[in-house]
Amino acid sequence: MSQPTAEFLLFQVAFRVYAAAVRAVVRVGTIREASAEDLVADTILGRPFARDRGVVVSAERDGRERTLVVDRVLGVRSVPAADVHELPPLAAACLSSAAIAGFVTMDEAPLLIVDLPTLVRERLAAPATAA
Amino acid sequence: MVDPRGTGEAAGAGDDGAGRSADAFFFCLRLLGGRYAFEAPLVTEVVRLGPLTRLPAAPSFLPGVFTHRGEVLPVLDVGQLVGQSAVPIRASTRAAIVQCGPWKVAVVSEAVEGLVVVPRRALEPPPAESTGVAEFLSAIGRDRNGTVAILDLPRLVETARTRAVPAGSGAA
Repeated sequence: MSQPTAEFLLFQVAFRVYAAAVRAVVRVGTIREASAEDLVADTILGRPFARDRGVVVSAERDGRERTLVVDRVLGVRSVPAADVHELPPLAAACLSSAAIAGFVTMDEAPLLIVDLPTLVRERLAAPATAA
Repeated sequence: MVDPRGTGEAAGAGDDGAGRSADAFFFCLRLLGGRYAFEAPLVTEVVRLGPLTRLPAAPSFLPGVFTHRGEVLPVLDVGQLVGQSAVPIRASTRAAIVQCGPWKVAVVSEAVEGLVVVPRRALEPPPAESTGVAEFLSAIGRDRNGTVAILDLPRLVETARTRAVPAGSGAA
């Protein structure tokens, strides 16, 4: 009998690779396809080195799409549900962002699971930072 | 402040006349260049830290998480929590996994000394200072290796939680 699995999109911002639930992603493209005001960069994940790839998410109630700027999209991985972990309670209580949703173990290393709509919403709600 | 003579209760030789063991049992770590201990029953395991996964948006006293036997555990740096220097984290760094109420956490250390036995009569109230690590001391003890500062670890972990900015409070 096959065990339940979860699908994650893997993407890289600066030096780190993150995972995000595939269902939260509308599409993947280049940032040239998005207008400047819909681009979201410089989040708690850091600032991407290159401004080329974009992960499009629907982050707002009105369905407006925003594009998270990333360095690379590494593809989609299907992992056993048993390899998906919530944040430890103390870590969940201490983080100043709700966008870190947990971990998924891949190749014996824990990758952070990012709640992309929350990440984008938090960035849009935060005061603007100097470029 | 916790009664310094009420910590580390454990069965041992002798009795202090009030039905308690004459000795208190603590688990001792080297931190901040000194000996710090807490109630031994809080410790479930001592581990060598594996590769640490750093958390974005985490306070400095929570340098990351690591996987231990399939469980993801947060690492607590007491030095950073009390406003002092960070405990250096290397491949050889060891941590005590403790369970403080609902919070399971790995307390990172410069070195692990292990179980220490302090005669209850050698436990004294902590200094009156309320800054830095002194704020979290419940007693000062002495054993054959010298002075050991007794930490009120549950209060320290609870303080870590309350000092962090919770998600949704407006900070990003």
